[in-house]
Amino acid sequence: MFRRSQRRIVIPFLLPALILTGLFFLYPLVRAGIISFEHFSRTGRTSFTGGEQYRKLVDDPSYTRALKNTFLLTFIGACMLFPPAVAVAWALHQKLYGESFFRFVVFAPAVLSTAVVALMWKFIYHPTIGLIDPALRSAGLGALARTWLGDPTTALPAIAFTVVWQGIGIWVVLLSAGFERLPVEVLEAGRVDGAGEWALFRRIMLPMLRDLMRILLVLWVVQSMQSFAFVQIMTRGGPFGSTDVVSTLMYRTAFDQADFGYAAAMGVTLLFVMLALTVIVNKVLKRDVIQY
Amino acid sequence: MSARARAIMAALSAAFLATAACSGGKGGSSHAASVTQPVKGGPIEAGVIPAKGTPSYNFLRDLANGLEKDYPGTKMTLTFANTEARPGLEQRWRSGKGPDLDYGMFDGTNPNLQDWANDDFLVDLTPYLKQQNPQTGKPWLDSFSPTAQPFMKNKDGKYYAVPTEASLTVLFYNAKIFKDHDIKPPATWDELLTAVDQLKAAGVDPIAVTGLFEPYMGMWSDYLFLRSVGYAKTRAALSDCTGKLDDPGFADGLTKLQQLRDKGAFLKGFQGTDFTAAQASFFQGKAGMILMGSWLVSEMKKSIPPDFQLGAIGFPSLPGGHGDQTALMGGEQLVSLNAKSDVIPLAIEWLKRLTSKQTQTARAKEIGEVSAVNDVGAPPEMPGMDKVMKSASTMVPRYYGIPDSKTKDAVYPEIAKLFFGKSDAQQTLNNLKSNLSRVCGN
Repeated sequence: MFRRSQRRIVIPFLLPALILTGLFFLYPLVRAGIISFEHFSRTGRTSFTGGEQYRKLVDDPSYTRALKNTFLLTFIGACMLFPPAVAVAWALHQKLYGESFFRFVVFAPAVLSTAVVALMWKFIYHPTIGLIDPALRSAGLGALARTWLGDPTTALPAIAFTVVWQGIGIWVVLLSAGFERLPVEVLEAGRVDGAGEWALFRRIMLPMLRDLMRILLVLWVVQSMQSFAFVQIMTRGGPFGSTDVVSTLMYRTAFDQADFGYAAAMGVTLLFVMLALTVIVNKVLKRDVIQY
Repeated sequence: MSARARAIMAALSAAFLATAACSGGKGGSSHAASVTQPVKGGPIEAGVIPAKGTPSYNFLRDLANGLEKDYPGTKMTLTFANTEARPGLEQRWRSGKGPDLDYGMFDGTNPNLQDWANDDFLVDLTPYLKQQNPQTGKPWLDSFSPTAQPFMKNKDGKYYAVPTEASLTVLFYNAKIFKDHDIKPPATWDELLTAVDQLKAAGVDPIAVTGLFEPYMGMWSDYLFLRSVGYAKTRAALSDCTGKLDDPGFADGLTKLQQLRDKGAFLKGFQGTDFTAAQASFFQGKAGMILMGSWLVSEMKKSIPPDFQLGAIGFPSLPGGHGDQTALMGGEQLVSLNAKSDVIPLAIEWLKRLTSKQTQTARAKEIGEVSAVNDVGAPPEMPGMDKVMKSASTMVPRYYGIPDSKTKDAVYPEIAKLFFGKSDAQQTLNNLKSNLSRVCGN
């Protein structure tokens, strides 16, 4: 009797979340899976093709290249994001003078729209009318000037930098919360034992933040593997496909060529790749929980 | 089964049936209107190419206001229908809610853009086009230039679109710079190379080009192949997958492109320059020439300095080339009518007004649009365009249909590599052969 009445109370509370999850996550997921077994004409006529789209994916160098670029963007972005984010979060933890101003400066880009940031950086990277190259030339460092978005070796890192520039504030906030949670007694004990700030950071803080870092890394992997807007606005996947990621290739396949079935197969494959990567990252970085 | 369970099952079955009915299938019921049906006012939505706020858009808005005034009850909505808006609009068409009039739904020269017509989404305009115009005594169809008509016509002989403007790919040049430095507008490839040298000597980048939009770099190779190989063979090899790159003219065309690159003919930093910035560089006098569609002038109207002297010439010929030496590449902006439209006679009236000689002449003069309607002169803002059009033997579709073909990612990225110095002419040809062989399966 009690359980029944308890269930009656729980269901209405769960229902909104279940409906939203079903409508915006489960249904699209299942539908994408179904679509990936169909061929679409431009006008939307469909025919069942079985696993043909998946077989095609295996032999498609554009998809392989896009997948490679997606991994690269994730890796380069992680290298650009985490060291400075941890450093800034640590610095903000040190009770600096004007701390709230620095917090504002670091977080400000996060409130700008992606399109604005992408267009702004597209201009900044411009080789002749931008800001970086002319500045380098006027400082006598012309040899370092590059056509950042026009060179296949620098285009992807340049996009990754832009993604990081905009998003770093969020990661700093999350990491700052981690630093704030560190038990003062443990840090004090370290100091009493003669540990310097560097040793304290490396040997006490970082190990204690390991769980948080693992979660943030998984979040970054999931987020960066779905990058679309920056690539689409800044390079459209060029030069010659060197920045093409799975989402931009998927978009072109679906909306330029109206091949929704093939695009869905790309999406489903990416989903499984992301799931696998998430599990691997979780497994590799998982350690015994440190209680504090 | 309880009554409640039966009700749920019935609702689910209805939902599945509705879903099945909505998926697949053809465009369906056409509101076939008689050609003599009177025009009645009503809400109508028309796709337009220019963006809101541009002089070109304002011109169309004025025309729409005229239609609203003449047919009480008409409320005309102009919806942006250019490249960036296409995915969203096509989704509307698929769900049966496309605008009454739209661009990019049909092109008789491109098999990849004929599905909408073949699946009955579009109104067959043939009876309307063959109807006599009471003012001229001739069919409406006859008012369009013969070069435009293949773009309007499907394989089955029916017409599914009318051109509201033409876009010709020509070599624009800064006439003042050319005059000041005594440079002759190039008519042949050798003259182009000479002009490049002279412009460089004058401290001006010879050719503005974008490195961030591959099809615009492809305009150069497209024209070179047209001159050195010819349209039909190039189209068969690069887009239709019915031919191969065996003709020596392909290597010749690519070698010519490499020649330009090795001379440093392109805008400094073009690799990282998008097309708006490249076009702006040309109008700022930083580059002497630009190969571009005739939309350049209307698109950049607000950024062209008042004292800028523009010149236009056809793409240089390749003496000894086996292709078409005077053919012009271009396209038509084609508008089609939705078969599900409730205001077909009103939509036809809009099309007739938009493609009338009077409107087209005003658009050429005020906006700088090139017309596909007979006896409408070239825009006065494009000196030389009249001559280019008269001297052209024929007009062939630009890009050979590559952007809508499965060869899209196989061709232009290789041309971009050649531009960027990442491959030479022979490597480009080999890569093209291997990519096309993979994509086309031949």
